[in-house]
Amino acid sequence: MAHAAQVGLQDATSPIMEELITFHDHALMIIFLICFLVLYALFLTLTTKLTNTNISDAQEMETVWTILPAIILVLIALPSLRILYMTDEVNDPSLTIKSIGHQWYWTYEYTDYGGLIFNSYMLPPLFLEPGDLRLLDVDNRVVLPIEAPIRMMITSQDVLHSWAVPALGLKTDAIPGRLNQTTFTATRPGVYYGQCSEICGANHSFMPIVLELIPLKIFEMGPVFTL
Amino acid sequence: MAAPPEPGEPEERKSLKLLGFLDVENTPCARHSILYGSLGSVVAGFGHFLFTSEIRRSCDVGVGGFILVTLGCWFHCRYNYAKQRIQERIAREEIKKKILYEGTHLDPERKHNGSSSN
Repeated sequence: MAHAAQVGLQDATSPIMEELITFHDHALMIIFLICFLVLYALFLTLTTKLTNTNISDAQEMETVWTILPAIILVLIALPSLRILYMTDEVNDPSLTIKSIGHQWYWTYEYTDYGGLIFNSYMLPPLFLEPGDLRLLDVDNRVVLPIEAPIRMMITSQDVLHSWAVPALGLKTDAIPGRLNQTTFTATRPGVYYGQCSEICGANHSFMPIVLELIPLKIFEMGPVFTL
Repeated sequence: MAAPPEPGEPEERKSLKLLGFLDVENTPCARHSILYGSLGSVVAGFGHFLFTSEIRRSCDVGVGGFILVTLGCWFHCRYNYAKQRIQERIAREEIKKKILYEGTHLDPERKHNGSSSN
């Protein structure tokens, strides 16, 4: 989860998120250099003694400041598109989970190996145990195995919601009447938090998502099916 | 205000953010690129000044040198970093396969020894 006042991305828990962090670093370096150049140009503008009022054009400079941004945009777009197509790869998921957004909770359905369906509500502050996270912990977590491709089918029963887990690099809109699909493979066990990411009413901020990722051996023993 | 590291976890280095957003300490290759860029900037700018004695133009050359050297080092370092990550991933998968299949007919070492003896 994010710590207080965290601005940067969370540590990656899936290969896609690792790629996203790499791309973010790449774009940020380009942005830094552009900002540096702009600050220098501003400094020059403020300290110049050149006051020629008869300048009418500057063809060479105009050519440079047209072509250079185009090159920079290509340098940013190519890795971006690579990751975009990577996120759309579907690699034979082992498990399919359905996630249905409601006002203001999530319903999860494990229908591959039985008919497990449960709701996931945020824990109200009065029900928090010591160590629980306020506004993030839920009564029933989504328990999933690591190192297995998982398919999430996401929809909504009422208004728009969005199912997001930043550590996995996931954010998929839950749209009523539409089934959206996202796949992921988690690489590390742990508990990962997310929050609804599409405004959906009064309690939009109070319908978190919690994934509990456990080793496949333990998942196969069936802890998730003992609810 | 970072969360305290768990016992046994390596401590995250104190972040230094250039222009308020580029975390030089915790971004791979950033510190290396910026340092070499600064060195390149000083060499190019000072070298130009020594030859021409023009201050403003030398500053422009210095800034241009910083940008070019930083970008060059950045791409070079990130390319090597990506290659290293791929090699680490391959090594991790091979170790996992070895542990999982050791002694069975799927043992990668047995397959490899079989093909080399043929």
